[in-house]
Order: sequence, then structure tokens, then C-alpha cells
Amino acid sequence: MKNSCSSVSPLIERYFDRQATDEERALVERHLPVCTTCSEKLMALEGLKNALKAPVDEALQEETFPWVWEKIEKNIRMERKPSWWNLLRSWLDLSYLLRKRVWIPAVATAIVLALIISPFLFQKTPSYLEASVVEYVESDTHNVMVYDLETGQVTVIWLFEEPEEETFSS
Amino acid sequence: MKRTTILTIYCSIFFLFFASTAFGQVQTRFRVIRASNVGTGVDPSLGDIHGQLGSLFSFTSYRLLKDEILHLSPNRPASISAWEGRIIIETTLERMRRRDVADLRIRVARERINILNTNVRLSPGRTVLIGGPKIREGVIIYAISSNF
Amino acid sequence: MNDKETELISRCQQGDQDALKEIFNQYHKKVYRIAYGVVRHREDALDVVQEVFIKLFRSIKNFKGKSAFYTYLYRLAMNTAIDHSRRGKKGTFFSLDEEGGFQPSDSPDKRPDQIVARKEVEEKVRWAIDQLPQDQKETLIYREIEELSYEEIAEATGCSVGTVMSRLHYGRKKLQVLLKDMVNPVRNSSGI
Repeated sequence: MKNSCSSVSPLIERYFDRQATDEERALVERHLPVCTTCSEKLMALEGLKNALKAPVDEALQEETFPWVWEKIEKNIRMERKPSWWNLLRSWLDLSYLLRKRVWIPAVATAIVLALIISPFLFQKTPSYLEASVVEYVESDTHNVMVYDLETGQVTVIWLFEEPEEETFSS
Repeated sequence: MKRTTILTIYCSIFFLFFASTAFGQVQTRFRVIRASNVGTGVDPSLGDIHGQLGSLFSFTSYRLLKDEILHLSPNRPASISAWEGRIIIETTLERMRRRDVADLRIRVARERINILNTNVRLSPGRTVLIGGPKIREGVIIYAISSNF
Repeated sequence: MNDKETELISRCQQGDQDALKEIFNQYHKKVYRIAYGVVRHREDALDVVQEVFIKLFRSIKNFKGKSAFYTYLYRLAMNTAIDHSRRGKKGTFFSLDEEGGFQPSDSPDKRPDQIVARKEVEEKVRWAIDQLPQDQKETLIYREIEELSYEEIAEATGCSVGTVMSRLHYGRKKLQVLLKDMVNPVRNSSGI
């Protein structure tokens, strides 16, 4: 029995799966009535299969697949032809700018440009000493005098209505 | 790629426009002062040039008639009037020599007669005083200061 | 693969949606069985079915006909179901409304307490299946639910018949341990 069991036991699963040869099946069927161990092993396999399969069969029996094909069709259609709204959204969508390979070179370019331009924008020159603040002066009706204060940055252009007018302090 | 190119073009145009306007404009301060010997005192708004006025002129009273900040653009003259419109001072930005040096062309007219044409160079901290046209009890002094 | 199926596949590869619909009509129940076998939940199984046929339409150009079409489809269904199961396991919460509510005239197995008990069993089975390595999981589903032969399983999983038998043996052994309270070999086989 033990020997028979040791040779039949490995065949139980093949027998259960209906994958045994005719010879193997005959051997198992002769052995099962006289061996409770092998019989219980077979029943355990049946029990496990039932636990796995029965709920699936039951679910499929009750299932009506509502709208499944319609959803598949809609999805495929959406993939093929984006709506004008999705096209507009994709055009207005600037999230691609946030992708690394876009914003890193963009930031680098901005920094380089800022470094080049900033001296021109922010440079404060010290007081600019021009040879002449007044480049040109002309009057058909008055005498004109141009006077630069020695201290402070003030230049005076004075129009005289009468010659030697006493307006300036001595 | 196409969207990136279009966006880059838009940004460049925007930047150039902004840069061009920033470089082409200059802010200047115009003050119209009545200087006279009637009364005494200096208007508080003239505190920055009080010392210079005192050392230059012998008037006892300096009254501020107008104080305006004008944005000058090339070839777009700005006008200030004084003495009930009988004196007009027209200022035009000729060009920017540098970011902080502006060449201005100034024309002063009294009762529609040109009395002065001048070109001055304005830089930070510099004030140009144009004075002399007489009004009732005093004279008009026109102070142009850089505001940049 | 018969001629009709070859023609359907060819049309589908050229983007013919009607051909896909015919393939859907032919195979959707088998795909559902595999999906349900893995995820053990109706809504998840329906999601998997939907996903499988969408993926099929995208990828059918890659099918060269070297294996049977159903093994290609089953492999797609199995992988999709396992991915779905990994991505988001639904909690144990379920609504009795799914079952359409209880009516006094309903049979005993439609009573709420029976429904809850069944759901708990399903959750336990799902958990147990998830404990298996992927190759054992696939082999067991193909064998126990779809009842494919060892050769068909070998073709679907890309291994030998000997490997199929080995995976079946160790998979069953592990499941019997994990589900020992539920699997009653004597009479009541599902433990309910």
C-alpha cells in the first residue's frame, strides 16, 4: 500500500487535472478506493478548485457587462481624435514648460541674459562731469548768460531783458 | 517644438518692446518758480536748490508755481505753461547718450514769441535753471532736474 | 487559428473598430473570468476587461501570429489584472446596494448576511492569491478557472510543461495552507 501510495500520490494532481495518460488514470482509479490519504488529497484539490472557480462562475452568470463595449469604443475614439476643446487645452497647457528639459535651459538662458543686461539697467555712474552741460543756446530777443555753480550741480541760463541787469548777487 | 518657438518669439517681442521703451524714456522734474522781492521766504519744495538760489540770486521770495514729473520720449515734446499761459516752456528729449545722460532741447516762448532755444545735457543730480522772463513783480525761473 | 479569426485580427491591425467589436464579443467573458479570478471584485474585473480591449487595439499590431491568438489575449488579460490588483486594492468596504437590495421573497443566499459572508470569503481568497508569486498565481488561474491544459498554460506563460506542473503543485500547496479554514474537502467545499 505504501509503495502503491508513493507511486500513485504524484499522479493525483495530473489525474485531477485530466492530464494523466490512460495508464496513469487506470492506476489511480484502482488505488483511490483503498487509500484514504490519496482520496483526501484529491478531495482537497477539488475543494480548492471550487473555492477559486465557483465565485467566478457565479459572477459571470450574473454579469451583464453594462456599457463596457461603449466605454471601450469611446476611449479609442478619444485617443484617435482629440476634441477641439482638448486641442485648445493642449495648446494653452504650459505644463510642458515645467518639464526639466525645458525649464533648466530656460532658466540658464534667463540668468545669462540678466547678467549681460543688468550692468546697463542698474549701473549708476558717479556724477558725470561734462565739459559742458549747455551744448547750445540761442535767443533772438535777449542776451543770454550761462553760469555754472562751482559747488553743487546747478547750471543757470539767464535771459537779460536789459543789458547789465542787477539780478545776480555779487 | 512649434509651441516653444511661438512662445519664444512672443517673449522676445515683449522683452524688446519693454527694453526699448525703458531705454527710450526719461523722467524729469519741472518746477516753475516765481522769484521776486515782494515778501520773503522760500517754498519748502525748493529745499534741494534753496542754497543754490540764495547764492545765485538776490531775490527775497521764491514761490513754487508748478511741480511736475514728466516722462520724456524721443521726438515727443512736453509743454509746461506759466503766467496764465503767456509763457510756454517746451522740452523734447533729443536722445539718450547713455542710460543716465539725456540730451534735451528746450524752447521758451513768451506770448508766442520764441525767446530762447537751448540744448542741455541732464545727468543724475544735475539741475538746469532757466530764468529771466519778467512777470508782474518778479521773474520766472524754470528748474529742470533729472529724476533718474 | 482559423481563417475567420485571422481575418478579424488583420482588420483589427488596420484599425477596424468593428473587427475589435467582434473579438470583444467572442472573448470578453473569458477575459472577465481571468480578471475576476485575480481581482475577485466585480467593478475591478469590469475595469480590467475594458482596459484589456483598449490595450489590445493599441498593441495588436505587434501580434505576429507565432502563438495562438487566445494565448496572446490571455497573457494581456493576466498582466492587466495583476497590475490592476497591485495598483489599488479596493478595501473591504462594499455596498449591499450592489446586489439590488433585499426583498423578503428573495432566496436565502440573497440575504444581506449571506452577501456579506460571501464578500468576506472573496476577500480572503483574493488575499491568498496575492500571496503567491506571480508565476504560480498565473498558472493556477489558467488551470483552475479557465481549465487550460498544461500545454496551453506552457504556451501562455512561456515555459515548459514540467515547470507548469511544478508551479501548480507549489501554488496549490500554499493556497491550501492559507485557505485551510475555508477549503473543506469533505462536503461543503467553499466553507460558506
